Amino acid sequence: MVTAHPGLPEFDYVKPASLAEASRFLAEHAGAARAFMGGTDIFVRLRDGAWQAQYLVDVKHLEGMQALSFDPAAGLTIGAAVNLNRINAAPSVREHYPVLAEAAGTVASYQLRTRATLAGNVCNASPAGDTLAACLVLAGQVSVHGLAGPRQVALKDFFRGPGKTALQPGDVVTALRFPLPPAGYAAKYLKLGRNTLGDLAIVGVAALGYREAAAAAGLRFRVGLASVAPTPLLLEPAALSAGPVDEAALTAAAEAVAAAAAPIDDVRGSAEYRRLMVRNLARQALTEVWRKIAA
Amino acid sequence: MLKTHPTPARGPVGESVARLDGQEKVTGAAQFADDIQFGPGLLHARILRSPHAHALIKRIDASRALALPGVRAVVTGEQTPGYIGLYLQDRHIFCRDRVRYIGDPVAGVAAVDEQTAEKALDLIEVEYEPLPAVFDPVAGTRPDAPLLHPDLGQYEAVNFIFPKPNTNISNHFKIRRGDVAGAWAQCAAVVEREYRVPHIQHVPIEPHVAVAKWDEKGKITLWASSQSPFAQRNLIAKALHISQSQIQVVAPYVGGGFGAKAGVSMEALAVVIAGAVKGRPVKLRLTREEEFFTTFVRQGLVARFKLGCDTEGRLLALENTYYWDAGAYTEYGVNMTRAGGYSGTGPYDVPNVSVDSICVYTNHPVGGPMRGFGMPELHAGLEQAMDDLARSIQLDPVEFRRRNCIRGGDTVATGMTMHPTGLPDCIEQAAAAINWGHKAPPSAPTKRRGKGFAIMWKAPAMPPNAGSSARVQFNEDATVTVSVGGQEIGQGTFTVMAQMAAAALGVPYEWVKVAGPVDTDYSPYEWQTVASRLTWSMGNAVKAAALDARRQVLEMVAQAWKENPDDLDIVNGQVISYKTEEARSLKDIVIYGLPNPDGDGWIGGPVLGRGSFMPTYVTGLDAETGQGPRAVVHYTTGAQAVEVEVDLETGKVEVLRGVAAFDVGKAINPEMVKAQMEGGLVQGISTAFFEGLKLKDGRVQNPSFVDYRIATAADAPPQVEAIIVEVAQDDGPWGARGIGEHSMVPTLPAIANAIYDAVGIRMDAPPFSAEKVFMAMRQAGVVQ
Amino acid sequence: MSLHHITLTINGAVERATVPANLTLLQLLRETLALTGTKNGCAAGECGACTVLLALPGAERGEPVNSCMVLAVECDGAAVVTVEGLAHDHQLDPVQQALLEAGGVQCGFCTPGVLISARALLDRNPRPSEAEIREALVGNLCRCTGYLRIIAGIQAAAQLGAPAGPAA
Repeated sequence: MVTAHPGLPEFDYVKPASLAEASRFLAEHAGAARAFMGGTDIFVRLRDGAWQAQYLVDVKHLEGMQALSFDPAAGLTIGAAVNLNRINAAPSVREHYPVLAEAAGTVASYQLRTRATLAGNVCNASPAGDTLAACLVLAGQVSVHGLAGPRQVALKDFFRGPGKTALQPGDVVTALRFPLPPAGYAAKYLKLGRNTLGDLAIVGVAALGYREAAAAAGLRFRVGLASVAPTPLLLEPAALSAGPVDEAALTAAAEAVAAAAAPIDDVRGSAEYRRLMVRNLARQALTEVWRKIAA
Repeated sequence: MLKTHPTPARGPVGESVARLDGQEKVTGAAQFADDIQFGPGLLHARILRSPHAHALIKRIDASRALALPGVRAVVTGEQTPGYIGLYLQDRHIFCRDRVRYIGDPVAGVAAVDEQTAEKALDLIEVEYEPLPAVFDPVAGTRPDAPLLHPDLGQYEAVNFIFPKPNTNISNHFKIRRGDVAGAWAQCAAVVEREYRVPHIQHVPIEPHVAVAKWDEKGKITLWASSQSPFAQRNLIAKALHISQSQIQVVAPYVGGGFGAKAGVSMEALAVVIAGAVKGRPVKLRLTREEEFFTTFVRQGLVARFKLGCDTEGRLLALENTYYWDAGAYTEYGVNMTRAGGYSGTGPYDVPNVSVDSICVYTNHPVGGPMRGFGMPELHAGLEQAMDDLARSIQLDPVEFRRRNCIRGGDTVATGMTMHPTGLPDCIEQAAAAINWGHKAPPSAPTKRRGKGFAIMWKAPAMPPNAGSSARVQFNEDATVTVSVGGQEIGQGTFTVMAQMAAAALGVPYEWVKVAGPVDTDYSPYEWQTVASRLTWSMGNAVKAAALDARRQVLEMVAQAWKENPDDLDIVNGQVISYKTEEARSLKDIVIYGLPNPDGDGWIGGPVLGRGSFMPTYVTGLDAETGQGPRAVVHYTTGAQAVEVEVDLETGKVEVLRGVAAFDVGKAINPEMVKAQMEGGLVQGISTAFFEGLKLKDGRVQNPSFVDYRIATAADAPPQVEAIIVEVAQDDGPWGARGIGEHSMVPTLPAIANAIYDAVGIRMDAPPFSAEKVFMAMRQAGVVQ
Repeated sequence: MSLHHITLTINGAVERATVPANLTLLQLLRETLALTGTKNGCAAGECGACTVLLALPGAERGEPVNSCMVLAVECDGAAVVTVEGLAHDHQLDPVQQALLEAGGVQCGFCTPGVLISARALLDRNPRPSEAEIREALVGNLCRCTGYLRIIAGIQAAAQLGAPAGPAA
């Protein structure tokens, strides 16, 4: 019967004192325990029975989880428990990574963003994760604390399938890190939902471009896609690195991006429409980025 | 006998006074059904529902559920042999031998908490034998279609509903007027169209909740979020074969109804479950997910239109067929299909008419009343087809409507003479406000603008003798308590009733309160809070009760002052004499009376006014032709215009501006009238772009806010203008008639017409999602 | 299921409760404490009827959350403001007053959440643009008003300035 339960199922709430303890507990209870940040995804899925958990492990208070810092040399570090409103409002993000602020601000509603986190969005690996396309074009890294201690995983290697990631039992994501973006870069996130604001993405496209003398065209572009393949995609359109960038090349690049997408039909939209929208939004986003960096 | 002074529209009638319920609603003090505290004795109920669209129930075994600690009772259809229904008694409270939609209630559990009740559901074993199902209303009418209700011929029905035994057709309403077949030859243009309207849901923000309790003597109390406390008392009593007086329904504020909380849907389940645990209150609260498919939904429609006009654009003939996808039970829905039939021409003067409005059982969620009661569905296609017909003879769509719209004195298709109506004025005002005929440039080269127009009519759809009653009583301090059985569901009826009582009595608005919650043991009778009928019908009752109270006061004072009551008046809470210029406060005298001027003793006593109203003039209609002197009490009419911008890159449509003009007879509270027009228009926008239950083999694929989207604050247009037109209703209080439902009716077709104006495409069904618009543009070669 | 002892401040009053792990803040408010001004409209973080201001320990001010999406146990040491806590000394908060006057209240079920979102918006941005108001309300579904009078009410509230008493 398709119906959600009135309340959350039973579970134990666990609040470890350290990352090491968290990793240990999660590893010992692999399959039965889930780490959680804002809970905005996990509570819904527990309620509708899609996920089960015997233990919910609250990790937001652990060291570094609430930190958001920018270093002019190393880039941006966003603690896993930093909520999306904070990311959207942070001056350092708005100045150096405006596309990330933009993408964070498109997720659901303000009150949901008070709880939702970038790390949660990444860990859930929903193909429709609103922030993932922007994180990918910004070359994000995931900081993970596991049984063997901390490690880094590049975001582009992190997603393995819908809801599937490179995380192992005992892993806790502690932060997302973004290197300094290329000098003079521009980026744009375009999202198409059913409502004007607040909906999940039917299609989300992030484009990033910058000048690079080594490239044939003197410019390089990256495109991140959400909602149009089993995992978020990161692409570097060949049409824009081979020769001069003009309207025709941008159109060709957008066509290529659309061809690389592997969307599905679902209740939110058809595969055919999604592919067409990847094309149109990629062209729009790339054109806007190109105009900025070429100017 | 007292000759009452005429009651001119003196304050506060016609003034935009503050809402009576405003303060308690902004402080969180206002009580809704789920807010009532029942203490630790409260039990919680959950419902086991059918996973099959159509099946026979072979066996139910609840023994394991009953053995679960914390479970207090399990009930099934065995406890509910009787039938229930408003116009056609076609359903059992719990299914007995057969389930007819995914979600049909099969068993109910009462337990100490919701979680335990949920666990118990998993322990109830039900054996089904699946049956072939009907998922399309047109297919459902075919002779070889699986039969959903083999007993249709035995069901009790009101005398204006015509079920066809041994078919899936539970009502077939017909209009036959003039010579349709002969008229086509005289037409200069004929259009034929088919449109589909999906099922949608009302989406009140407050989900359904009901708490029921039986005492040892068999008296039942039901607390519910309800538009229909009296109808619920009546229908549940009949189904349980008990007296209406054995049931008390208490109904506090309703957190949005839109029809979903009219009649009986889930409330009877709570009553039956509570019957198994006498003495304990049992709460049944639907989840949002259940809300989407287990109460009422707005039924789907397949509509076929054939319209013809002459070279001048005068409508000559109309032949419309409506197949209503009415769902598993049509106890309420049958009357929507009747309303869709008798109003099936839309607000047009057409000499030759054939309308068939066919109510078809399908294995879909239960179709029930929703804001507009059939009118949004049929106007959706009709108003697009009218636009197409106008364009086919190069006539401006507004001019076409000017020439053809229904006017006072016209004969409507059922034979009734149309009362005076401001529809022509609504058309003029809406067209002027949207600057019709002028196209502004789009905001970007990749966008296109267009304007669209639509008109509508709607009558209160109800039994001919649906009644209202009211009580107006004074308190010692001369404040007034108005008691009514109509419900405050957000539309502002308590405020409007207080305004009317104040105006009729001659006391300040601030002195009047409306007793709540509505309670069938204490409140006067009201049929239901539906059909936009309260301002008119209950308003008449309140006005009559206030005048009755006023008469009592004036007669008493006249006797005391030895004057003629005709020379007295109540103004601003004081009795005054126009003859002697004497004045006296109402305080105390309205309860304790006055000393007898002729000696010892007293005259007067507690003032208590009573009033009731029931239309007495509605007639039956011929079953074969739909003809009769008066099909309805009246029609509220109106027009809407919108300006849209279509994004060629995505197909997204934005409504830049909306205009609504409606003839409300008399606006008792103009700002609240405008608020109804605005809210309805945005609900119309929401249904135009976002809403539809995605049904696949009878299963709703999107029963949550994640995938059933409604308009948010960011989707409401930047600008909405509401225009009040007032052509008085002859039997309305101060000339008023209803406006609650009407404002969402023409919005969707106006948007469709605007999209056509912008990019030249038509779609055969809403919602006009960005995807649907884009793919239609692509198919038409507008975009790549 | 684990049980937890929590202490939190609700509308300025200290409350202690023993809560099971799966109890949401919404359930704590409505069902344990009978503070029923906060409404349950979907229990899935979508409708916003349950919006309250939540300041976790160490936070400078309360931020709006869907209380159905917060566990009660997470609120140990937190400060919560519900619709019942907006008025001070019988004086309505400017958002309450302005929403009433603008006609932004109909059935009243979304109203508590709308008011909390509006208060939070004006706390962080005392002079919001119309677009910012609409954006701040995206998580508060209203089916009656069509939002226009709610938006007008919040614009008017911004003109009225700060509320009389402490909000959190």
